[in-house]
Amino acid sequence: MKGCFIAWATDDATRKRGGSGGFVSAALAAALDNNLVDNVLVLKKTSPYKATPIVTNDPKEVLECAGSLHFVSVNMAKYVPPGRVALPAKPCDAMGVIERAKRGQLDLDEVYMLGLNCGGSLHPKKAKKMVEEMYNLDPDNVIGEDILKGELILKTADGEKALKIDDLEEKGYGRRESCRYCETNIPRMADLACGNWGLPVDKLGKTTFVEVITNKGEEIFKNAVDTGYVEFEPASDKAIELRDKIDNVMKGLAEKWHKRLFEPIEKLSDSERLAFYVDALNRCIGCGACRKACPVCTCGDSAKCLIEGDSNYKIPLFLMVRLLHLMDSCIGCGRCEDVCPAGIPLTLIHRRFAERMQNKLGYVPGINLDKPPYFEGELREDS
Amino acid sequence: MKEFDPKIVAFCCNWCSYAGADLAGVSRMQYPPNVRIIKVMCSGRIDPLFVLMSFLEGADAVLVTGCHIGDCHYIDANHKTKNRFEFLKEMIAELGIGEERLRLEWISATEGEKFADMVKETVEKIKKMGPSPLSPKVMQ
Repeated sequence: MKGCFIAWATDDATRKRGGSGGFVSAALAAALDNNLVDNVLVLKKTSPYKATPIVTNDPKEVLECAGSLHFVSVNMAKYVPPGRVALPAKPCDAMGVIERAKRGQLDLDEVYMLGLNCGGSLHPKKAKKMVEEMYNLDPDNVIGEDILKGELILKTADGEKALKIDDLEEKGYGRRESCRYCETNIPRMADLACGNWGLPVDKLGKTTFVEVITNKGEEIFKNAVDTGYVEFEPASDKAIELRDKIDNVMKGLAEKWHKRLFEPIEKLSDSERLAFYVDALNRCIGCGACRKACPVCTCGDSAKCLIEGDSNYKIPLFLMVRLLHLMDSCIGCGRCEDVCPAGIPLTLIHRRFAERMQNKLGYVPGINLDKPPYFEGELREDS
Repeated sequence: MKEFDPKIVAFCCNWCSYAGADLAGVSRMQYPPNVRIIKVMCSGRIDPLFVLMSFLEGADAVLVTGCHIGDCHYIDANHKTKNRFEFLKEMIAELGIGEERLRLEWISATEGEKFADMVKETVEKIKKMGPSPLSPKVMQ
């Protein structure tokens, strides 16, 4: 039963609540209901700008969490509980989960990832400011949001207002920087890939385009259908084509953004680049928030990066060790930059170092378990 | 003005490269005194952190030395050294302090001359390059 389908939740309330058809929420609830998993990890929305990751075994609570959520930045990988668990996963969540599995933090056989197609998310603080200044709305009045055809639509009690994301980003708002140049939009490393890309116009917002990728994905999909939570029909070739087309357009846009953001650094001479790094990294106050948020970081309390350096170092030792350590394994999720209280463009800098090494090794992190993390993997193979 | 006197840190393993350096000494080979040798039991013990810290503490160059591949007294530990070195090299290059400041060399116990030559070469090169921009003492 692998392949592409168009599916929707049979329960009308869930179908309406969901971002597009409510398939993911229904499938998660079905997995809990039929005891396919012990727990589900979902984001519970408390306002359009805030959501908390929760672990629950109550199908009702899962269904309540349905709906699109673009104004939060969380990486779910660090919250995955032990035992059989299902979670909705953006590409960076899925990559984080796989990297954590490589480091022995979880058993990938027990984790069911319902991948979500992702064109990017927004930082909640910036989103609030954007709602005020670009949409001329009170941030607290916003009751819903969605991204459709390159437009960000905000829903209030009075109606809807849509603005082009391109225009928002030109003005410094819009998606997080790391999302703009992220080229992984369809989470093909997850078990399922769900989204609204490729749907015919009359089904947009009412159904979910689902690609079943792995055996685990098949299990989840079959279970959802068998328990009656979900109905489906096969996706037409046209729909599959359209989805690929959207994916390619997004990839093209990402490449453009990559060029735009990285070329200024590329053009710097060696000494100018060092000055840029020293200048940026020296703003570090050593709070360790980036380390806590990073889905790949697993060293714990005995981590090398916690060794304190001298205060006269040009670059804090903490960041030097982290830069080195993430050179092979940075997945570019952008969490470090989101949480940095000193406003260091951490993701950009980490990506500069990581892209260099990953290109050299021909290694892409977070795709599968075939290759262990290079730095540690080589050690394991030898010894 | 006093001529720039580079500070160079050399990590040597107990079994090969330190013995190589020792041989250079007992054979009375002349080489510049800029190098500070740190002996470790094996080049595999050289944590990347040591190298990063050397630079941050003010080393103008760091030499990582060990037994030739296949000669390691701890079977295959210098493969790990090589692997780590690849990462460090890329990092130093990206930081923009000059790739030449970090060097990996395999030196056996009989290669006293190779050790002396390596130090001579490095000192000459670093003298031309000037002090490391990562050194805390350099005023900007």
